[in-house]
Amino acid sequence: MVDLSEFKSKVESLLSQDYQVEFLGKNFEKTVSLLTKAKAERIYSWIGKVVSKEIQPILIASKKPYKDWVVKDLLTFRYPFKVNNTEYRILFVKVKNSIYIEFHLGDHKYYDKIRKDLNLKKSSY
Amino acid sequence: MSIIYNSYNTKIIPERIIEAEQLLKEIPAKHCFITGSFLYQEKFKDIDVFIISRSKKKFKLSNKKANIIIIDFNDLNSLFFHSLVQTCVSKNLLPKNDLKVTISDYWNVVNETVPTIINQKSFKKEIRNLILYTEFFKKRIVLDSFQLNKKIKEFKSPKQIFGYIEENIPQTISKSRKSSYLKRFFYTQSGVYKELRDYSAQNFLYLLSRKITQCLANG
Repeated sequence: MVDLSEFKSKVESLLSQDYQVEFLGKNFEKTVSLLTKAKAERIYSWIGKVVSKEIQPILIASKKPYKDWVVKDLLTFRYPFKVNNTEYRILFVKVKNSIYIEFHLGDHKYYDKIRKDLNLKKSSY
Repeated sequence: MSIIYNSYNTKIIPERIIEAEQLLKEIPAKHCFITGSFLYQEKFKDIDVFIISRSKKKFKLSNKKANIIIIDFNDLNSLFFHSLVQTCVSKNLLPKNDLKVTISDYWNVVNETVPTIINQKSFKKEIRNLILYTEFFKKRIVLDSFQLNKKIKEFKSPKQIFGYIEENIPQTISKSRKSSYLKRFFYTQSGVYKELRDYSAQNFLYLLSRKITQCLANG
């Protein structure tokens, strides 16, 4: 079982930026509590690879606004994993050549919603 | 009485039709159907049950292998839906809208599949839409689940998929629409990828979009 504040601070420490990344997701706290230490370590290792540009982002050439930004300026990194046979996804959003802004964690339904917001999904294809 | 859709004469296991009918009876919705490997493969992982519904209610089935997927009425014109219903067992006659597929939809699939293949060790699940869209734009046919699985099995490594993309996509896209629209569209795409060429996925997509514009220029 992983402690929520410990999880957040570990993620933040890996980013080394002044801007405070937003942790978002339906049942975020509950999902983190379901993680084993090993699963959390794998997530930290994945974040390390995102920071060192080993993980490939998804980028959409869309002028659609997303909060204070425009979709075409956002890079989205996706990490799928399973806990007790339920599929979860992390969507980690970064402003191009700049800061990491959002860390989304949720089930498939939540993931689909955020994908729509970020213009990554248009229909059920 | 259920309806069997089988556009390509896929060999469906007769007992599975009966099992599918029993499962569909449990669903309190008019439009629902079963498709996928359950219908034609002895060994299967799960049973793909699709329900077309506006309702947000949760559906449960007695069979633990049933994987319920809700389809919105707005998605009935998608390539995804048209592929599903080529071979399926349905509770009633299915509503079907005309197929609407755009180059922009296709490119979204390519754009998402390329980084995903590089990031993930397993790729067979991830290339499903890529193959579906490419074969549609190439031959104007909508593959069913059986044909898609057969095609996916041909790919043994990510390298082979990238070869398939490079070989098929520029030619297929450049022949599919008015070139002035496509030139504009892919010129914009390559501009966005250009700044991110230190990522191998974006570098690949940059080169691919450039190749498409070159194909268009060469007619």
